[in-house]
Amino acid sequence: MRNFWLIAKHEYRGTVFRRAFILVTLAIPLGMAVLIAFTIMIETSGENRLPVGYVDNAGLLDVSRPSLPPTPTGIEVRAFPDEEAALAALKGEEIQAFFVLPPDYPNTLQTDLYYLEKPPSSDVWGEFNNFVRLNLVATYPDEVRNRLLEGPNVTVHDVVSHREFSERSMVNVVLPFVASFFFFIATMSASGYMLQAVAAEKENRTMEIMVTSVTPGQLIGGKTVGLLAATLTQLAIYVIAGIVGLTVAAPHVEFLQQITVPWAYLGVMGLFFFPAYALIAAVMVAIGGAVTKVQEAQQVAGLLNLLFLLPVFLLMVIFENPAAPVVVFFTLFPTTAFLTISLRWGLGTVPLWQIGVGWVSLVAATMFMMWAAARIFRAGMLRYGQPLNLRAAVAVIRGET
Amino acid sequence: MHTVEVSHLAKRFGETQAVADVSFAVERGEIFGLLGPNGAGKTTTIRMMLDIFRPDAGTVSVFGGQLDLARKRRIGYMPEERGLYKDLKLESTLLYLATLKGLDEKTARQRLAGWLERFDLAEHRQKKVQELSSGMQQKAQIIATLLHDPDLIVADEPFAALDPVNTRLVKQILEEQRQAGKSILMSTHLMYQVEALCDRIVLINEGQTVLYGAVDEIKRSFAGHAVVVVGQGDFTHIPGVLETRKHNDTWHLALEIGTDPQAVFRTLAARENVKIERFELEEPSLDDIFINVVQTGRRSQVAGHKSALEASHA
Repeated sequence: MRNFWLIAKHEYRGTVFRRAFILVTLAIPLGMAVLIAFTIMIETSGENRLPVGYVDNAGLLDVSRPSLPPTPTGIEVRAFPDEEAALAALKGEEIQAFFVLPPDYPNTLQTDLYYLEKPPSSDVWGEFNNFVRLNLVATYPDEVRNRLLEGPNVTVHDVVSHREFSERSMVNVVLPFVASFFFFIATMSASGYMLQAVAAEKENRTMEIMVTSVTPGQLIGGKTVGLLAATLTQLAIYVIAGIVGLTVAAPHVEFLQQITVPWAYLGVMGLFFFPAYALIAAVMVAIGGAVTKVQEAQQVAGLLNLLFLLPVFLLMVIFENPAAPVVVFFTLFPTTAFLTISLRWGLGTVPLWQIGVGWVSLVAATMFMMWAAARIFRAGMLRYGQPLNLRAAVAVIRGET
Repeated sequence: MHTVEVSHLAKRFGETQAVADVSFAVERGEIFGLLGPNGAGKTTTIRMMLDIFRPDAGTVSVFGGQLDLARKRRIGYMPEERGLYKDLKLESTLLYLATLKGLDEKTARQRLAGWLERFDLAEHRQKKVQELSSGMQQKAQIIATLLHDPDLIVADEPFAALDPVNTRLVKQILEEQRQAGKSILMSTHLMYQVEALCDRIVLINEGQTVLYGAVDEIKRSFAGHAVVVVGQGDFTHIPGVLETRKHNDTWHLALEIGTDPQAVFRTLAARENVKIERFELEEPSLDDIFINVVQTGRRSQVAGHKSALEASHA
């Protein structure tokens, strides 16, 4: 066991201190930070806080009425008796803009807006809209008035998965899509490191020394665990960066306040992540053992990675019909189950039996691949000059050589 | 107890019989040479010995038993295919390999300082391996083999890529290891190194043991398989003579195994145009023996092993 952990530690340190790893790991949180800062900047900076005026020729509005429930802007709405007075206030920079409601406003809903150089922000429009709507329904009882103002609050019930979606929390539908890409970036980069770790052992000609110091199981197991730890470190940095980013941004960006932690999603992804990682790692061990150079290994791995990436090409189909036969097939297929379920999750249409079958097929494929990879690795680990071709690899798996 | 005992090893790769029947034993405190032409099966034999390949037939015993992890830790192996982690620093690489052999990092660090000093690599310890010359990398490889103070050293071509100064240093180190009671198995093509260093050898050809025993005894047993002739005339095309070399008026005749020097003398004496001034048996070099045995393809064993050669001598 000591050697197992020594190898794991060696791989972990060798990976997390690698320039490429640091760049990939930090680039995403940094990009996120820049995006959040940009959003907050847009939301807060350069905002004109001057009052907005109005001239009510229809006699509908009463400025003394309390505003609607909390408005993020808090911009004062000020009444003017006529357009001349409002224009004078605008030119005197007492107000940033003013609206004019004509006498026939209730019939035409026609409204005019006046401003100097810069049009008022959407928040100002929203503030004035709320003010007008409040006044239009002012004569109704409070209960009716509130319903009219708030509109329906629709909750979607998925009778298959028994999950519920509120249309006001679309961010929670989008979140699994974003998370699945993070999971996948981490898994694929880990598989790349795994491939390099095994192939480099051959390219550096250190394989023969290693296998006389440790068992092949310790060598591969140690590498797998070390790189898994590196991947989890990467994911942890993403998660921490995400939490910090959301905490900072939420007070300034309204839709982010609706985010809830998708525990069920995280649980299912956790269930799939480890066997999916082991499957990819086993594939990489087999490739690394079979070829003679890192570059060759990367070419072969590039092709095999497509088997894991196929759901990305089906993104539109998944959006349009998450229960389409091809999507269901990908949900059950070992290499695509992880990503397909992750992408389907936000749409709430993954039946439990499909998750179960997908997981079982993934675990079965992983176990087979680990067994086959061990054979290929053992047969190919000392073939420095000639790679183990597909035919030879199949023969090795079948125990013919 | 032998340090290593290899008995009737055989290994086939597809259609190729890499090793057919190889047996030998390595004793404590000796330098043992594993010799053979290219493709004879030396590396495959070493790999089976070290449990890298599993033999199709035969047995291997190392330190009196099957090669488990504890026994592996007592072995220092320098493979034919040299290799170190090119993008790692020299010191980190050597410490990592030593700790995998069971050494704690503190001890490894202390020992490493001494070895780096001895091999003139101390100032390069923080350089990446790929920044070192091939000679330096070779020296680093030797340090990696010895750092954990193994009881058995297995070195495949240990002098390759070394300049004469470092070759002498490595020879000196191998001598020291032998005196310290370590067993050394080395594979090399350099016969003069074998003569200078090895106590015993095994020669394998086409996957079979063809010669096995103490270097001195083998050379003695092959005395009579070469003769030196001084004289004038034609000394070529003699039946039973494998190779003829001429230097000034001296002819060196390498005889095939089984050829009687007296018969060669009689053949030459019978030639009309030949005048013999001196005719004597020559103790052959290992080089001559190697060529003789490999070219004639005859199998022989000495020193405790019955063989076709012994039978013919008898």
